[in-house]
Amino acid sequence: MALSKDELKAALLAKATKAPKPQLYIKDFYECDPDAKPREIKNIANEMVREGTLMFWSSGSTTMYALPSRIKNEETREAAEDNK
Amino acid sequence: MPKHDTPLLDELEKGPWPSFVTDLKRQAATKPECWDILGQVELSYKDRITHWKHGGIVGVFGYGGGIVGRYSDVPKEFPGVAHFHTVRVNQPSGLYYSTENLRGICNLWQKYGSGMTNMHGSTGDMVLLGTTTPNLEPLFYELTHDLKQDLGGSGSNLRTPSCCLGKSRCEWACYDTQALCHFLTNKYQDELHRPAFPYKFKFKMSGCPNDCVAAQARSDFAVIGNWRDDIRIDQAAVKAYVKGDYPSNGGAHAGRDWGKFDIQKEVIALCPTGCMWMEGDVLKIDNSNCTHCMHCINVMPRALRPGKEQGATICVGAKAPILDGAQFATMIIPFMKVDAENEYEEVVEQIEKIWDWWMEVGKNRERVGETIQRVGLPTFLKVMEVEPIPQHVREPRSNPYVFWESDEVEGGFERDIREFRKRHAQ
Amino acid sequence: MGYNPDKPMEDRITDLGPRHFADFLPPVVKKNFGKWLYHEITQPGVLMHKAESGDECWTVRVGAARLISIDHIREICDIADKHCEGFVRWTTRNNVEFMVDSKAKVQPLIDDLKSRGNKFPIGATGASVSAIVHTQGWVHCHTPATDASGVVKAVMDEIFDYFTSMTLPAQVRVALACCLNMCGAVHASDIAILGVHRKPPMIDHDAISGLCEIPLAISACPLGAISPLKTTNSAGEEVKSVKVKNERCMFCGNCYTMCPAMPLADPDGDGIAILVGGKVSNSRSMPKFSKLVIPFLPNTPPRWPETVAAVKNILDTYAKDARKYERVGEWAERIGWEKFFEKTGIPFTIKSVDDYRLAYDTWRTTTQFKFTSHVK
Repeated sequence: MALSKDELKAALLAKATKAPKPQLYIKDFYECDPDAKPREIKNIANEMVREGTLMFWSSGSTTMYALPSRIKNEETREAAEDNK
Repeated sequence: MPKHDTPLLDELEKGPWPSFVTDLKRQAATKPECWDILGQVELSYKDRITHWKHGGIVGVFGYGGGIVGRYSDVPKEFPGVAHFHTVRVNQPSGLYYSTENLRGICNLWQKYGSGMTNMHGSTGDMVLLGTTTPNLEPLFYELTHDLKQDLGGSGSNLRTPSCCLGKSRCEWACYDTQALCHFLTNKYQDELHRPAFPYKFKFKMSGCPNDCVAAQARSDFAVIGNWRDDIRIDQAAVKAYVKGDYPSNGGAHAGRDWGKFDIQKEVIALCPTGCMWMEGDVLKIDNSNCTHCMHCINVMPRALRPGKEQGATICVGAKAPILDGAQFATMIIPFMKVDAENEYEEVVEQIEKIWDWWMEVGKNRERVGETIQRVGLPTFLKVMEVEPIPQHVREPRSNPYVFWESDEVEGGFERDIREFRKRHAQ
Repeated sequence: MGYNPDKPMEDRITDLGPRHFADFLPPVVKKNFGKWLYHEITQPGVLMHKAESGDECWTVRVGAARLISIDHIREICDIADKHCEGFVRWTTRNNVEFMVDSKAKVQPLIDDLKSRGNKFPIGATGASVSAIVHTQGWVHCHTPATDASGVVKAVMDEIFDYFTSMTLPAQVRVALACCLNMCGAVHASDIAILGVHRKPPMIDHDAISGLCEIPLAISACPLGAISPLKTTNSAGEEVKSVKVKNERCMFCGNCYTMCPAMPLADPDGDGIAILVGGKVSNSRSMPKFSKLVIPFLPNTPPRWPETVAAVKNILDTYAKDARKYERVGEWAERIGWEKFFEKTGIPFTIKSVDDYRLAYDTWRTTTQFKFTSHVK
């Protein structure tokens, strides 16, 4: 039985919060609802980025998803160092 | 920003080829951060190693591609390039520009960036090199509002599609590459800007088998122009070539004395299928044996042209060597019409069939060509609902290990060992 | 109304795609779109395309660095405004094309281009070496094993005459990629200049937990050479890190792409490999991959004399020996690769014998070969 859109969002959020690694491939989200089409999951994940619940993380060649609070970037790290 | 001494780079101001060092110095007059580019590259020349760090997360809001983050690992010495992100701007199909548009981009980059660019990056985008995170949103605002154009792709997205100049200035284009490229780029804006796939996915469109954008070598989905009827021949022009009135290969070999043009040696003998011959002074082609390699057409452009029944061949799965080795795209659909009237329905159908399957089956960071290698071409042909034909292989398999399925074999795989033992003692 | 930093989402436009190419076509191109009859190269760097209407489009092709400034682009615009009705285009190999609609307009354009020093070399048509397509190198990349713009400049200076003339047996496509990621997709070029690493990654146990996800780093290795390790950092704390089985490393750098705490670049370890004989076009023979003939040349900035000499030698030998129309790879296959090594004088080393995946395809399984000097 496929999940509703809100249920799916909650499942993605739970996954992004609890996963051992902060960055997740889009495929990691597929297991949130095995009945949903990959494209649906992708659309939900991207909608969550627009809402600010998730963010993109990129190595340049690969793009992943993450919870903004779990990600340190170069500029926040520099700022932290400057405040030391 | 102070000027740095660059004795090593200065050596690259010598010689006849245009010097990027001279160009950087010129630009530094109005964009002093170019002194820091020169300074940091000079340091790399001294140390023989890069001084750039990993990207991380930089982008405009809501886009998962188009900006690539970059930071200096010696920011104190070169503050002008401490944060130095790349902006990919989606190029117009065929790489034509009005100077008005180009000047607009230059002004934008004067305001928000380093003033240095790549025309163009390897995938085809205009690449604007070097800006800071706070500049990204205003730059994007003005790019979209004032110049009415958009960013290209990066990461696990559809990458910016690219094409050859096609029908705009080439007599060999078998379909309108620019129109298809523009159509697909717009149709798939979501896939271009937001990650959707296990890894990158590239479209490239070439108008003929000469393949000037290297679609066969570089794209996951290659649309290469082709024709399926007879090469058009102007026999009067053939005679003119034989007489030496027209230069061979459109004049491409004019710089050296290769002797008088010899149609036998230069065209007929080099035809890979041997399907051409002369009857008196008339050129004959057995078109049923032609493999559309373009050699004869390239050599005698005024006498020979691709046939009139034109379309494209679809090849899937090319990639550079990372990681299992380089792959050329495998021929999947020998011929299809490329038709703007029905919004390229056939092309779109094939693309989406591949995506639906690859998004499901592809592993993380696996290009579609690698997925096909992993599951085998027979499986992929079934996914594509394509009837297997000899054209799909160079030669039939030489090993006998065929994966028969239960329903292909009379009686299936289920058998009763007790029944078997009644007739065959252990 | 411009961008308002307080309301970044106000009036936001997204997903509008590139500008339509039809807005940017020169009038003669627009008028004769899809109605071209034939073309001719009338002199090196000058093409004439003839349309069914009788119209002619004359193109002057000039070389450019790939790394160019906006001031340089503005100068290109000045030229296009003066001669070409405000339109210009780039080729896929970073050349710039100025188009005019009559023969009479060609010479004034050429004179103008030539009056601007060495900024606009005319050439790259027919049996020439076109501009070298390349990657970023030390100017902007975080994983390179060599520079790009500098090597290209040094090589192009040396083989410049092949750019401005049409004396080769066929067109020669040279490409450079500054690491094995091959953003430049040099794997199907007549001559490929490829940056290579030769030292396994170092592991920064102090930084790895902050910079990387250990499972991503481990799975990044195509040969399974990376495994988890519990160790102590320089502060004496126990940390989760990784170790690398050096003898399994093929120096691809994929781990560094996924984990910045595993740098592998090194001044002595890094350098250049030369691959030859690839082609993309389907003309005559099928597309071919480039093959590795020189496994390593050192990084010697600012002018990389070893790499420059290697490219020049291959080109000169090919120019002398190949037949008309033969691409580098077609020539090497006709004479045999053993003859290629003999004629170029490039020492054959065991590094050219494939031992990676699908390697068997490249081993010789016949008694057909030539007795070159390699057979002692």
